[in-house]
Order: sequence, then C-alpha cells, then structure tokens
Amino acid sequence: MSKRVKSGIYGLDELIGGGFRKNTVNIVHGGIGVGKTTFCFQYALFGLNRGEKVVFISFEMTKEQIIRDCNELGLSEIEEHIESGNLKIIHIYGEDLAFPTISLVDILKENKTDTDHIRFIIDPLTHYSMFLDDEKRKSLSTIFQSLRDFGTSVITLEKSHPNDAINNGSLMPLYLGDTVIHLDNLGFGELFNRTLRVAKHRGSKHGEGLYPYNIESGLGIVILASEHDINKVTTTKEFDEQFIAAIKQVSNIDIVGEKLAKRIEHLRNDWNHSESPEYILDLVTKNEK
Amino acid sequence: MIRSKLELTLDDLYETEGVDACILYRIDGIPITVRTPRDSAIIEVMFWLEKQIKHVLRNMDKEGLKAATFDFKNYQILLTPSSRSTVLVTLINPHAHKQLISIEIARAKSKIHKCVS
Repeated sequence: MSKRVKSGIYGLDELIGGGFRKNTVNIVHGGIGVGKTTFCFQYALFGLNRGEKVVFISFEMTKEQIIRDCNELGLSEIEEHIESGNLKIIHIYGEDLAFPTISLVDILKENKTDTDHIRFIIDPLTHYSMFLDDEKRKSLSTIFQSLRDFGTSVITLEKSHPNDAINNGSLMPLYLGDTVIHLDNLGFGELFNRTLRVAKHRGSKHGEGLYPYNIESGLGIVILASEHDINKVTTTKEFDEQFIAAIKQVSNIDIVGEKLAKRIEHLRNDWNHSESPEYILDLVTKNEK
Repeated sequence: MIRSKLELTLDDLYETEGVDACILYRIDGIPITVRTPRDSAIIEVMFWLEKQIKHVLRNMDKEGLKAATFDFKNYQILLTPSSRSTVLVTLINPHAHKQLISIEIARAKSKIHKCVS
C-alpha cells in the first residue's frame, strides 16, 4: 500500500484510505464559498504543525489576506510558520500568467527546498483556464508531473457553469488529477447544505457517498460521516477463511496460479463489503482456469 | 450523532414489510443514503429517479402537492419531500399494506425533517 499524506480535514482521511497518496496531485473542486481555501489552510497547517514544509501559491489572496483569514478562522499559528520559513506564500496575479516569462514549472523549481517531500498548494488553478490559450494549457501535464516529483499537492479549482467559455479548460485538471473532491453548497441551510463527494481517488478505495460538512471556527472543515459511511470503507477480516481457501485453490492453476493468488490476497486485504466474497471468488476461479 | 439517526430511520423504514427499497435524495437528485437489495430492476428505477426528481419536485411545488406516486410494473414509487433540501423515495411492493406503509413513511419523514433541518 502506498504511503499516505494526511489531509488535515477532520473526517476525510477515514473516507480515502488514510489520506492522500504520497506524490500525487489532488483537486478540490467547487463553487464560490464552499470552503476550498479553508481546505488549503487545513492541509497546510496539518503538515506545518508537524515540521513539514509547505509552498502555497495563491492566485487570489496576498500573504496579508491569507494571514488575516487564517486568524479569523482561529488558525493563527500560520504567522509562526511564515516566520520560521517553513511556509512560503507566493502571490501571483492570475492575469500575469498571460506573460510568457511567467512559468509555473519554473516557480515550482525555484521554491523546491532540500527536503524530499513538500506539501504544495495552488489556490486556485482556475486562472490557468481563464488567462491561458489552449497551447499553454497543455503544459498542465508538465506542471502536474513536476508537482508529483516534488511532493503532494492540493489544487483548488472553481466550478464553472456548463455553458461558460472557460469550461473546457477548467475540466482538464479534473482528468489529470489523482484525486478529485467535489465541495457543494446548496444554500438551503440544512444538514446537506454543504456536502463533499470523492469523485476519484486513483489507486485507492474511497467512500462513494455524499457527506455533509460544516466549517467550524478554530477547526475549519469537519465532515459529518456516520458510522455506517465509515464502515462501508473499512476493511473486514470476517471472510478471511474463504479467501485463504480460494488462494490455495488458485495456486494450483498452471502458470497463472501464483499471480492470481497475489491478486486474491490483495482483494482480501481490501475487502470492505458486508457480504461474502463467495460469488466473486467462484467467478474468478472459473474464469481463470 | 445526527447522521447515525438518519441512517437508523432509513433502516427502520426498509425493514417494514412490503418496502422493497428506500432512498433519501437531495433535491438535486443526488442520493444521500440508500437502502436497496441487489436487484437490477431497482437500479434502473434509481437511474430514472435521478433524472426525474428535480422536475417532479418542481411540479409538486407548483401544484402544492404533499406527495407523488408512480406506478411501475413491479413497484409503486412514493416521493415524499422530507425537508427543504431532501426527498424520501420509497419503493413498495404492489401487494403491500399501503396504509401501514404510509404511516411508516410519515414517521420517517418527520424524523428526517428533525435530523436535517
């Protein structure tokens, strides 16, 4: 199992197998006022408070605005981390990206420190869709690869209307990202007013429900998943005997036996259904013979 | 916890005799919590529901309706708005005791309203 980087969002890691996978790019997608920047603050502070380095590239807020907003949320330790040099905030005006001299990859390279892992944050990447032409947008794959090389990133992206001119460009990061988390705010003021959904989490199991969340002072985003929700993504050892029997059975199948046994072992370690795997194991055994 | 109460409410309704499935939807058609058997016919109904919920709710609101019923081949589908942002959908067996189920739905609706509002 790949190493995990804790998100710092209360209640999220339980739903995504323990956190973001290390060296991945994770997209937080949502409309105005859903808490995307708060998500970034929590992700940054979780690492900073444990001695990690964070680079925060902001296309909207200046360093002063970030400090003020964090203080208002009760996340005032941010100033200490800026002073210690562990948090680097880079503010770029979105429209400046239109100048050919500004390259996000160069900015990333310049700010890579000696540590082997950095938490990178880009809030929001939407300006890339708004200010860059198609050719430049293609450089997104290069940017994403650089981000993966340097550490684990959280990138926010504004949700656009299907008919918006910026829509085509804004969808590209959703395809390229390793994780996509949708945040919604309906505006009804009920439990499911603000909701989170994990649309994709490459190489890992994740909760598939609609989870309500609140933004609480001093904490930030708190996801209100029920025991039922968490059980759905928690692995169970209840059917181990059936898996062990199936592994023994498939091990004897000619040349594929060993490979298949490894796969079933993987399935056993990840099994999170309350139902018996009998049907699936029978199907696999019959098909692979 | 509120979320657990909501799950229990759906569990109770699902256990009522004659209820084949019950799903709590957000009004934009996204399922919040689902209790269904593994049955392809029900999955087809769910696809249909996700497409229809917004339109049905809009019409119910326009006409001042408290609930709406759809009759399918094997199911009767009851749509009951449970709060400003949620709607409870119950799939019942056509031979079920409808009066008893309607009491259970009313009870569930009231509990959901308390949980989410």
